[in-house]
This record gives sequence, structure tokens and C-alpha cells, in this order.
Amino acid sequence: MARQDPVDVVVVGAGLGGSAFCARLSERAPELRIVCLERGDWVDRSAMPAYRGDWQRAGLGAWSTSPNVRLAAESTVTSADYPIDDSASPIKPLMWNGVGGSTINWAAHAPRLHPSDFRTRTLDGVADDWPFTYFDLERHYDLNDAAMGIAGVPGDPAYPPKRSPRLPPLPIGRMGEMAARGFNAMGWHWWPSDAAISTVDREGRRACNNGGPCLIGCPIGAKASADIVYWPAARRNGVELRTRCVAQQVIVQGGRAIGVAYRDGSGAAHEQPAALTVIACNGIGTARLLLASNVGAVDGPLGRYLMFHPIAYARGMFREELDGPRGPIGSCIYSHEFYEHRPGRGFARGLQFQITRENSLLNQAARLEPGWGRGAHADLREEFRHSLPVMVMAEDLPEASNRVTLTDDLAPDGLPGVRVEYTLSENSRRILDFGLDRAEEMLRTVGAHRVARLPLAALTGWHLLGTARMGTDPATSVTDARGRCHGVPNLVVADGSLFPTAGAVNPGVTIAALALKIADDLAGEVTG
Amino acid sequence: MTPEFLSAVADTLFPGDDAAPPLPSATTAGVAARLRDHLATGRDRAACGEVLEAIARAAGGDDAFVRSDADVRVDTLKRVEAELAGPFRTLVSLALRDYYEAEAVLLAMGWRAAPPQPEGHDMPPFDDTLLEQVKRRGRMWR
Repeated sequence: MARQDPVDVVVVGAGLGGSAFCARLSERAPELRIVCLERGDWVDRSAMPAYRGDWQRAGLGAWSTSPNVRLAAESTVTSADYPIDDSASPIKPLMWNGVGGSTINWAAHAPRLHPSDFRTRTLDGVADDWPFTYFDLERHYDLNDAAMGIAGVPGDPAYPPKRSPRLPPLPIGRMGEMAARGFNAMGWHWWPSDAAISTVDREGRRACNNGGPCLIGCPIGAKASADIVYWPAARRNGVELRTRCVAQQVIVQGGRAIGVAYRDGSGAAHEQPAALTVIACNGIGTARLLLASNVGAVDGPLGRYLMFHPIAYARGMFREELDGPRGPIGSCIYSHEFYEHRPGRGFARGLQFQITRENSLLNQAARLEPGWGRGAHADLREEFRHSLPVMVMAEDLPEASNRVTLTDDLAPDGLPGVRVEYTLSENSRRILDFGLDRAEEMLRTVGAHRVARLPLAALTGWHLLGTARMGTDPATSVTDARGRCHGVPNLVVADGSLFPTAGAVNPGVTIAALALKIADDLAGEVTG
Repeated sequence: MTPEFLSAVADTLFPGDDAAPPLPSATTAGVAARLRDHLATGRDRAACGEVLEAIARAAGGDDAFVRSDADVRVDTLKRVEAELAGPFRTLVSLALRDYYEAEAVLLAMGWRAAPPQPEGHDMPPFDDTLLEQVKRRGRMWR
């Protein structure tokens, strides 16, 4: 094993958490030598499929958001995927394993958590409080907003006033307007999405031209992703990024992390000694690496408390022509009418309605059953450009039995295989059913002649949260409030694994804010 | 397998319709020709071959399937789908991709043949007046 020169900080993972952390720490403490190990590589925007005639099928195969689908398609994208045994989970994990992480194929719908999300135990008597408040994190939300550029409309009454300016909002189109009229008719809250999508030409990024399929990558760079938002600054600040380097183990001796063992792209083994080790490989990858490194107690909290955001759809069919797959797919409008906990609803906590744009023609056709014959044509004609999807996103409460574990097999990347064990809780089921009922009411009120329900969408495991959660008790948490592992204080987690609870909104900007805060906390210790 | 048989299978899967503008049949959209490619060199050629052979067998041969009327063809495919659900799904998925990617199909569905970029889509800007009712609400957050 080749021993590299010791560095001050080694970061594993150049996704959103790792990238934001590297950029911020290198800015605050430029004297530190920081190396980041990334298993995948840079994405080539010119190779993204949105310019090609086969863009629709790309999203179902080589450019799927699912690593398992990409592997099955023998994809040659620069995401260095590993198989995930998701047979024991009705929700299938989605991710991108390359520079930029899952922001390469995220929808960039960028809501913040609510202040109440940080205090679920205190306010509502369920789950656990975060070890700090929304207002402690607010400055870092603002920093991330400035880095990404957030399009939206100020003044949403569902949130405290946000200090950071907004770029002009995205168009909401006919679908958004239809839904807005529906929410208004019901007397419910709605608001245009905060979107990490530039609506003006900005810092080398082009304004969004409403092309649509953000999940197969944004070749014009309008959509913020960590590779273009955080890495230019991190590299200017001297951070060394080594791609195609797969971390095999965090080396821990005497209660201290002394570095990371990894394999480079040629398969050669290396050891990177470091004073501080930071892991940011998402809620599955981080747990996998730490479990493989024997960090934490056997059967302890590491890997447990996995939270997704369970998602159901109510899709209204309208006589009027709507937009179809026009506009950024995930960023249109949302409603937080039923977000906050309300006793008497039959469940704890709440949900977000997210109005999304539609999928491509092929994607919509592939979803229909049986999918062939004259009936399939008729179904598709009824739906395509005439449907309005309401995504019901439930808050998933942390459950110890929902977890990431290692398998007995060795995966091709040299690490133990990984398995997800997840059961939808009764509480989450009730939230989804409640949300579907309300969504159908709204859709019929505004004129839908038919509403199709999808009670639980499988390929929606974008949000991988909670498997190395923050807290004060080592029996129920993996790290402290600063992301430092209990018992190994120079081993830090900086990604969505840290979330004690998940709220009911997309977690991207909270992951970034959290990583920025952890970097600031560390910088404060280093620089005094 | 004869070209006529592959066309008959493809057109049973995606027969097209008579709406305006009409959806073309799978053969017209080029799906049958692609099916031959899948059978020859595709990653899923084994599954495709298994299903197509089962269809021919169930119909009493390639020619019998070609000669049968539309309802009989559909029934034959349904029987094979019940027997070989996984491989049948693979065949449908392959044909589906080829069919709904065809320019004539995209245009018939009121879409465009060009990919999302570089043109994008023109959309009117957000109309802020829609929000007036929500803006009158007080603080919702806790």
C-alpha cells in the first residue's frame, strides 16, 4: 500500500456535502491542506443526453437516477456505482456517484426545512429535536443560496422571511397555474418553488430555457450542481480532488481516525494519512463505509434510522391542454397547507404537495399498464399533455428498524455489499393517504375528470437521510452537533446521514447548509 | 423468424390509431426493423427470442400468427404474457422505447421531434397576481 503525504483533512465524497464542506473550509482556513477522494469522475456536460434524440430512453437506462438501473444498463456514465440490495425496501435508493454527487441528477427543488422541523420532540412530542435550531442554520442556508443562486418569490408565509435575495422565479406554466387555481379554490397555501436553477445568465451559467428533464443532467449549467457551484472555489483555494479513488476503510487507531485506505482508478492501494477525516458519501454510502471500518458499536445506531421521503402521486386528467414535459421537472409550485403538525388528523407531522412537470412521452408510456395494445394508445392520449401530477411527500419519522446493513458479499468496488431494509410505517402510510385524498379534492375542484393514484412510488428514493444521525446520546446517535463521531472525535460526517429528522421537504439545501456549518465549526476551532 | 412475423408482433403491441393526427403502426414507425436488431445483437436477445418463439408456438407457427386476425393475435400475446411475464415485459420495453422515440409518434402525440436542448421551451413568466390570496394569509410557520 502506497502511503501518501499526510494532509490536514481528507474528505471522502465530492457530492453536495463534501463539496460544500471543502469549499467553505478551504476559504475559512486556507492554511489547511485538504484532499478529497471521489469514487466517480467529473461529468461531461457535452455527453449529457438532453441534446440527443435518445434522451427519453437515456432516463430509463444509462442516465437513470437509480444506480441499480444504470448498472443493469451497463452504463458508461462517470458515476462509479455500486449495487444496492434494495429487495427489502419498497422505496428504491437513487443517487449519483461522481463529482457533484446527486446534484448532477437532482430536480433542484430547493425548499428549506421549517423551523418546527428542528424541534419535533419539543413541539409535537415525536422523534427527536435537532441539536440546533433553524435560526442557528439560517446563515448557512443564506451562504448556500448565494452560491447556488435560488430562483423564487420572497414572502412565503410558510417560512420566516429569508434574507438572501431571490432570482426571478421560474415560469409555472399551465400546470402550475391550474394547480394554483385549485389551491386558491380550496383556500390552501401554495407558493412558487424555491429552485436552485438560474433564471438569468450568471457566473458562467446560462439561464434556464425550460428544457425540462433535469434528472438526466443539465447540459447548459442552469441547474446548480456541486461540481459547478462549489468546486471552482474549492480548487482555487487549493483543495486537491482525486477522482476515481474508492475509499475502502477509515483507519481508526486508539479512538482516533488516522486516515483513509483507498484504491485508485488502476486498482492500486493507497493510504492517505490525515489529522481529520470527513465522510460525505450520502445516507447509504457513509453508513456503508463506516460500518465496513468497524466504527461504532455493533448493533448501535450507525446505519439505523434511515429516512426516505415516502412519495405518492395523485395525477389529475384534464380536457384542457397542459404543458406535459415542459419546464424544469421538479420545480414548479408547492403547497405546505398540511405541512405543520395538527392534532386530530390521525398522524404525526405532515406533508408537502409538490406540483411537478410531467415526464417525457416515453416515460409516461412506460408507466402505464399493460403498456401495449390499442388501450395503451388510448390511455396515453388521455394523459399526455393533459395530466397534472401532485406529488405527496410525507415526513418519514426515524425508526431504528429502517436501516443500511452490510451483506456477506464483497462488492466489485472492494467494499462489502450493502443492503437497505426499510418498511413504510403506519404513520407515513396515513400521511400519504390523507395527502392523496386532499390532492384528489383539489384536482376535482379545479376540473379534473379523472384522478389516478399511485399509493407509493418506488423509484423515488432520492433523499437518503438519518443513518449517522446527530445527537447527544451515543446509544441513539452517531455524531455530536458538529458531525463528530462519538468516540472518534476527529472523524466527521458532513452529509444527509446526519439528519435526526427529515421534515417533509427535499433536503438538498439543508445538506449543503449543514456541511457549510460543520466546515465553519471546524474552521473556528482551527483558526481560534 | 420472418420479417412478416416480426411486423405482426410489433403491430399487435403498438397498432397505432385513427385519431388526428394518427399514431403510426409499429412497423411504420420502424419498430419491427429494430426488433430484428435486438434479436441479432441486443443485450436482451435471449429474452426477446424466448418470447417470440413462444408467440409463434402458441399461434401454431409464424405464418399462422401472421394470418390470424387482430383479436386472435392479442389473445395470443396475452397468453404468452401470462406465461413469460418477465421476458415479455423486456420485449415490450424494447419496443416501447423504439416506438415512442420515433419522430412520427412524437408528432402524432402533439410533441416535437427535437430533443429538449438547445431549443428549450418558451413559457410565459410567472403571473404574480395568482398569489394575492396566499399573500393575505398570516404567518404559518412555527
